This record gives sequence, structure tokens and C-alpha cells, in this order.
Amino acid sequence: MADHFFTFSIITLSLFVVASSGGLESELVADLLTLQAESKSGVIHLDDRTVSKFLTSPRTPRPYSFLIFFDAANFHDKPELRLRELRREFEIVASSFITNHNSSNTKLFFGDIEFRESQSSFQLFGVNSLPHVRLVGPTAKSLKDDSDVMDQGDFSRLAESMAEFVQYRTKLTVGPIHRPPALSKMQLGLITALLLLCLPLVAKRIFAGETLLHDPKIWLSGAVFVYFFSVSGAMHNIIRKMPMFLVDRNDPNKLVFFYQGSGMQLGAEGFAVGFLYTVVGLLLAFVTHVLVYVKDATAKRLAMLFTLLVSFWAVKKVILLDNWKTGYGIHGFWPSSWN
Amino acid sequence: MSNSYTSDILKPFKLKTKQQELLIRVLILCLVYILAFITRLFSVLRYESMIHEFDPYFNYRTTLYVTQHGFYDFWNWFDYESWYPLGRIVGGTLYPGLMVTAALIYRLLHFLRFAVHIREVCVLTAPFFASNTTLVAYFFGKEIWDSGAGLVAAILIAVCPGYISRSVAGSYDNEGVAIFALLFTFYLFVKAVNTGSLAWGLASAFGYFYMVSAWGGYVFIINLIPLYVLVLLITGRYSMRLYVAYNCLYILGMLLAMQIRFVGFQHVQSGEHMAAMGVFFLMQVFYFLDWVKHMLSDTNLFQEFLRITVTCAVAVGGIALGVGMASGYISPWTGRFYSLLDPTYAKDHIPIIASVSEHQPTAWSSFMFDFHILLFLFPAGLYFCFKRLSDATIFIVMYGLTSMYFAGVMVRLILVATPAVCLISAIAVSATVKNLTVLLRSKTKVAQIGSTKGTSSAKASSKASLDQSQPFQKNGAMALLFGAFYLLSRYATHCTWVTSEAYSSPSIVLAARGAHGNRVIFDDYREAYFWLRQNTPLDAKVMSWWDYGYQITAMGNRTVIVDNNTWNNTHIATVGRAMSSYEDEAYEIIRSLDVDYVLVVFGGVTGYSSDDINKFLWMVRIGGGVFPVIKEPDYLVNGEYRIDKGAAPKMLNCLMYKLSYYRFGEMMTEYGKPPGYDRARGVEIGNKDIKLEHLEEAFTTSNWIVRIYKVKPPNNRW
Repeated sequence: MADHFFTFSIITLSLFVVASSGGLESELVADLLTLQAESKSGVIHLDDRTVSKFLTSPRTPRPYSFLIFFDAANFHDKPELRLRELRREFEIVASSFITNHNSSNTKLFFGDIEFRESQSSFQLFGVNSLPHVRLVGPTAKSLKDDSDVMDQGDFSRLAESMAEFVQYRTKLTVGPIHRPPALSKMQLGLITALLLLCLPLVAKRIFAGETLLHDPKIWLSGAVFVYFFSVSGAMHNIIRKMPMFLVDRNDPNKLVFFYQGSGMQLGAEGFAVGFLYTVVGLLLAFVTHVLVYVKDATAKRLAMLFTLLVSFWAVKKVILLDNWKTGYGIHGFWPSSWN
Repeated sequence: MSNSYTSDILKPFKLKTKQQELLIRVLILCLVYILAFITRLFSVLRYESMIHEFDPYFNYRTTLYVTQHGFYDFWNWFDYESWYPLGRIVGGTLYPGLMVTAALIYRLLHFLRFAVHIREVCVLTAPFFASNTTLVAYFFGKEIWDSGAGLVAAILIAVCPGYISRSVAGSYDNEGVAIFALLFTFYLFVKAVNTGSLAWGLASAFGYFYMVSAWGGYVFIINLIPLYVLVLLITGRYSMRLYVAYNCLYILGMLLAMQIRFVGFQHVQSGEHMAAMGVFFLMQVFYFLDWVKHMLSDTNLFQEFLRITVTCAVAVGGIALGVGMASGYISPWTGRFYSLLDPTYAKDHIPIIASVSEHQPTAWSSFMFDFHILLFLFPAGLYFCFKRLSDATIFIVMYGLTSMYFAGVMVRLILVATPAVCLISAIAVSATVKNLTVLLRSKTKVAQIGSTKGTSSAKASSKASLDQSQPFQKNGAMALLFGAFYLLSRYATHCTWVTSEAYSSPSIVLAARGAHGNRVIFDDYREAYFWLRQNTPLDAKVMSWWDYGYQITAMGNRTVIVDNNTWNNTHIATVGRAMSSYEDEAYEIIRSLDVDYVLVVFGGVTGYSSDDINKFLWMVRIGGGVFPVIKEPDYLVNGEYRIDKGAAPKMLNCLMYKLSYYRFGEMMTEYGKPPGYDRARGVEIGNKDIKLEHLEEAFTTSNWIVRIYKVKPPNNRW
């Protein structure tokens, strides 16, 4: 009888354990879903406690995968890491995934960990460089060795390539990426309405000829700005996302402002040279059109001298820089007997 | 005694000052005309008279076709030798202006009994048109400023590297003719606006027609001119002259442009041309308002009327545009156009545009390289233009600024900006030099510096100059003048050097410096193409990356799968997929495309860096864009592109790698380095034991730059 009771109790006990572990899992998933719903973008903020609760403590296989973005608030101002941008893209992937599955997919969750507040988790994952994104699969026992790292190539095309990585590794489809429109529909409507309202007023002023648009000075400054913008290679900086300067690899205290090699440039470098270009031209205009009205002869001469020197210096500097950058030695073609 | 004798003889030839000036001007123009031509002949002197680059080979082939078969056959030509098995409707997919021009010159020369070969005509077309451009620049400069500025502009544009880069002898491309047409159209239009004459308007419409027939860049004209008109309207410079000029250009130009099959109804349907149409209707509204204002005497009544009309007009326009877009009648902007307005667009969405090296954004050094001192003079020129605002100077300022912006987005558009930069800088140079020389020649203390300000403000400036002493004594003027001429001489040196060293290489024949400073010529491309022509069956199909398509059809006379006319992205992606798959997978694609030979370009022996291995990532990207089985990370190691032992396994075994490095592992390329040392990338290759199963090596050129493989027939099944 006692024997009987014993086996019975074992069966019930084990049944209980199974039931409770199943219950635990569904509880975890429910927790995650609420956390996900609380977060604006659907990315769950993890810290040391929640990492152990959702990732280290539950037995494998876990019923879900976790894609984790490792963030560090104090590195946000380093442009070469692109943390902010990547994080935004990560959030886009997360929210797209959630909307495409009507918030009902419990196979994959998105999370982020902040360095300052959860340093031990960083150690747990063995993360020592950023940006870093890791996929923890359902079967991963050791967070450091069994999880997949998203490599640089998968960041390259931002949200799209991250989504591909997810699809490839988890066999879950992310679906179309929903990027938030630059202006919401409401704003767009308001702007058009405002524009339509303003239009008659603007037209009236145009006909009367009394707008800012009739002031050549504004047009001139705009023109010079456009000129400066293009010759300084600002477009290049925007398209290629070039940083303003680099840190010297050999000596971290030194900053590199000029990049050797044609077809590439750094931000500050372009602006410096663009400024030199502009200065010479404007000084010439100044000398021929403004200086002549100055009454004082000495002031005039000093200004003249100053202009000459500055222009000379600027032109020389630019030519030197260009020769250094491109590595070309430009020379004339004189008759060979002259040498 | 003898002195007076000669002067007696010369008396009938003695010229008045005005005549002397004219003579000097004409002489200078003649010299500039010749200079513009001969400075572009460096390439012929250094290499030989041949066609350069890639696209010109297609143009050459089609020109040959025009001269042999006549215009109508050319217009209806279906080319089955490219884009196999799709083919290409040539007449409907090209801008025929260049070919027809060259064919006409050829006919004319033959009519005059000059028995030249059509190739020579093609080679020299671009320099000839560059010379003509200098003349147009002179007249344009004269129109917007004065004849001095015109002369300077002609000189500057004759040698400006930004223009030379696309117009050296042998670069037989649309741009060579198109820049002439562009500037000519602008000149005629400005002339029409200045005079208000219907004849000039008509001429500008025909100039526009020529431009449309020559180059896709005509879209720039059809957007810039409406923008210019809009600015004039906004700044209150509407006039009857403008009305006549614009309407004439738009209506006639549109009708003429629609005769070009490649443009056709796009001119009234596509989004790129809608600005012109909108401005056209706006002009009518303005004209109407002007008329009503003329009829109504009450200003209040007119204001009310104005408000209602403008609102209605804009609303109707907006609705029409919306309906047009929604119903699909107006097509949206094309990717190329869109990537100009939002430059980051192409990088993310159209790899085939982003992959071309001339579509890269411009760094400051490229501006410096192509414009040199013109860059310093440009802001000064802008300032001068603003000081003497007229319809013409507003036009040149707008042309300069818009093209400068586009030049910042894409390297190749520096070409379009060049004429504007030259003209605006010429204004700066000419006005400054004129001032200074006037100052130097004047004997009295009264300065005449204000003279640049033109006639409109002459009164004010003379008033100012009365109570001013010399702004900078003659010495100062001398120093400035000397500085200006020094700069100009540096410009000439720079341009000559750049032309001869950087822009005159044909890129089909490569030159390098040997160990002893002597020049080594690699003529592998032509060797390979002639091999194809001599040794393969007439109907053989050759697969290569699209860069070499035009050259293979033109020189090898064999059918290609894809070529530089990148109209079908899927087809290109198929080739990209074949190149980046394993050999057996690639073999199936190759069989399905009916390919007989595969051609790859390889620079590992010579150190030639723009070969297929360096372009390979683009093949993967373009292939992966259509076929997701191809994934870029598979070919990279930690985001790094490698070909040595640490390379990705997929990379080491893909078709492109195998074909490039087949038997390369046995070869010593450099002393002191192991066999299989790739000189283009400076590493030892990772897979030296390459076995080919379905392809066999057919031909490798003397410097290994081009390698051709024959596709084996399938194995017997029993």
C-alpha cells in the first residue's frame, strides 16, 4: 500500500513538475508579451535580472529566440560606431516583425541591453566591441558560445539586411519593413492646407514686388552657400556618411583631419578646403566692388595688402593639399632643351 | 626715307581701332579654336587613332551600320547580337544624334573627295565639337557680359579638364556632342529671352531638338529652363520677351523631341517633364492676368481677381497632376532622376547605378582636379553677376548653381557644370583684368574702377569715383594683374598636364611604367577580341560581365548575353548569379543561356586593378538583388573581402574565382614572392589547385588580362 502510494506520489509529483514547467514557460512568454506591448517599438529592455529570468534560468529548449542589441549610452556620440542609427533600424525591424505577425508571434523577441547598467550580462555574452547584435536560439545553453553573432555585412543595408539575417537563422519571416513616414498624414494634411491658405497672400506680395525674394543679397548668399556646399564635397559626406575626422590608429590622442587618396575625403577636410575656395573669390569681389568706396587711403592699402596675402596663402595651400592628396606632381611641358 | 615708304604702302591696310580690335578678336578665336582641337589629340599621339572606353564602341558599331545600310535600316535595326536571347531594338533605345552627325560628316568628307575611314571621323568628332563649343562659349559670354568675357570664356573652356575628360580624340560618346548642343541651346534661349524674337526662339527649339537626339541629359535643360522662368516670374521679371521665348521653345521643342523614338510620348507623360508643362500653363495664366490688369482699371478689383485666379489655377494643376499620377498616365520619376534629388536613394535601392564608378559622389579634390583656379574665381563671378543683374546673368547663375549641385552628387556631372563654371569665372577674370588695365593706362588721378558695374549704375559709380583717391595705386594694380596672369598660366599648365597624363588613356590599351622608366603597353583586350573574331564560330555566344559587352560585339563581332546598355536588370543578375555560383550550378545557368564562351578580365599578373575580381562584389550584389540565394556575407569574412587563404569558402570556389585564377597557382609573378602571388591585390591566392569540370581554357592573352573559356558540351548520358 505504502509502495503504491509512493509510486503514485512520484507520478503526481512528476506530473506536477511537467505541468509547472509548462506553466512557467507560458508565464515567461506572457511576461515577454506584456513587456513587448509596454515598449514603444516592441524592443524589450533587458538588464541583469531579466537576462537571467528569460535566458539563463529557463531550461533549453526555450520556446523563443531572442535577438539582442547591445547598446552603450555613453558611446552614442561616437559617429563611427553608428549606434543610434543602428538602434533605430533595429527598432524598425522589431516593430515591423510585430506588426506583420499581429503581435501574436511568440517565437522571436527583440531586446536590448545597456552597458552601464548590466555589465555582467555583457561579460556573460562575451561582448567586447560594439556595435554588436546577437541571436540567442531556443537551444543555446551557453550564451557566449551557442548564440549567433550578426556580422558587419548584415548591418550594411540596415533594417533590410538585419531582417534577412533573422530570416536566415530563425526561419521566421519578418515580412515587409515598415519605416515610419517622414511626416505623418496629419502633418502632411496640415502643411498642404497651410500652403493653400498662404498661396494667395504670397502671390499678392509677389505681384507687389515686396518679398525677401526680391532682395538680391539673399539670393547671393544662397548662391554662395550652394557653391560652398557642393565644392566642399558635403554631398560626398552625406552619401558616404563620412565622419568629420578620424582618430589616428597608432596614436589615439591624435586626430586625422586629412585623408590621403583621391576620391575620398573626410568631413572637416572638405569644409576647410571649401572655405578656402570661397574666401579667395569673395575677397576678389570685395576688392573690386566694396573697397573702392572706402575713404581712408591707409585703410584701403592695408585691406588690399591683407587681401593679396590671404589669397596667395589660400591658393598655395589648396594646391599643396591637392598635390599631397592625389599624389600627382603637376609640371609643365617645356622643350627638352630648356632643362 | 624707307620708313615713310613702307607706311605709304601700308596705308590702304591701315586699320581703325575698332577694326584692329575685331581683327585681334577673330585671331584669338581662331587660335582658341585650334587649341581646343589640338590639346585633345594627346591620346592619338601617345597611343594611336582608336576608339576609347566602353560605350563608344557601341556608338562606333552603330555609326558603321548607318554608313553601310543607310538611315532607315538603322532606325529599324533589331540587333540580335546583344542581350541574347532577347535582342535589342536599337533604333528605339538610343539617342541617334551622335551617329547621325558622324555619318553626315563622313558623307560630306567623301563628297569633297576626302577618302577617310569612318573610324577617323568617329575619333575626331569629339575634339571637333569641343572646338565648336568654344565658339558658342564666346557668343554666350558676349551675350551675358561683354566680348572680353566671351573671349576669356572661350579660352577657359578650350582647355578645361572637366570638359576634356569626355572629349579627347577617341572618346566617341554622346557627351562629346551633347555639351555643344547643351550650351548652344542655352545660348539661343538666352538670346531669345533678351531679344524676344521668334526667330531666336525657333532656333533654340531646334537646338533643343539636337540636344534631345544626342543625350539623355536633355532632361537637365527641360527642367532648368522652367525653373529659370519660374524664378523670373517670382522675382517680378515677367516680360513679353520671356513669354515668346519660352512658349516657342516648349511647344516646338516638345513636338520635335517627340520625333526621337527613345523619348516619344515620355515627353508629355513622364514625371521628369511635368515641371516644364506646369510652367507652360503658369505662363498662360500670367499672360491672361496681364491682359486682365490691362483691361481693369480698379486695382482692388484686380487683387481680388488675382487671388481667385491663382488659387484656382494651382488647385486645378494639383488635381490634374494627382489624377494623372493615380491613373498611371503620368509615370513617376525614374531611379536615375530620383537619385539626383535624393542622392542617398541610389545607394540603397539601385545597385546597378551605384556600382558605376562615375556615379560616385564628388570629393573636393576632384573639383580641384577638373576646375583648378576656376573654383576660386567662381564666387567672384557670382558676385559680379549679382551686381549687374539681368535676365541673362540670372540664367547663368542658375545654370551654374544647379549644375554645381549635381556635380557634387555625381562625378560625371562635373561635365555639365563645366561650361557654366567657365562662363562665370570668365566674367570674374575679364571684369577684373579690364578694371586693372584701365587703371594702369589712365594718366589722370581720377580712377575708373566702378566701370565693371555696367551702364546701369555708371552714374552712381562715377559719382563715387570723384571723391575717392586711387583705390590701390598703380603698383597695387600691377601686383594684382601679375597675380592674375600667374594664376592663369598655372591653369594652362595644370590643364595640359591633366590632359596628357590623366585623361588621354584609351583604357582599352593599358600603359604602365616599366622598371627602367620606359613605357610598357598592354594590348590584351584587342588581342582577345581579335582572337574571338578569328577563332570562334560566327554564332558563338560569349558571356562576360556587362562592362565588356559593347567591346565584344564591336571588335569581336560575337553575340553577348549582357552589355553596357543595362536595360534589363534581371538578365544582368542572371549573369551575376552564374559568376558567383559553384561551377556545376553555374553550368546549368550557362547552358540555359546557350553560352559557348565565358570571358573574364584578370589583373593579377599585371597589377591591373579594375578587373573582374575587384568588381566581383557588385556581381554578387546585383545577382543577390534578384536571386536571394546569392548572399553577400557568404563571400566575405568578417565583412572583409579577401581572396587569400582566409577567404570565405564560397568565394574560393565560385566560378569567377576559378576562372580568374585557373592555373595561376603555378605562376611566379614577382621576385621573392611565392607562386600565385596576385599583384593587383598584393596577396597570395587561397586556392591554387583549381580544377575545371564543365569549362576548359580556350585562350589567355599574353599578359593574362583577358581569359576566355570554352563551355564543354554536356556529357553523354550513357
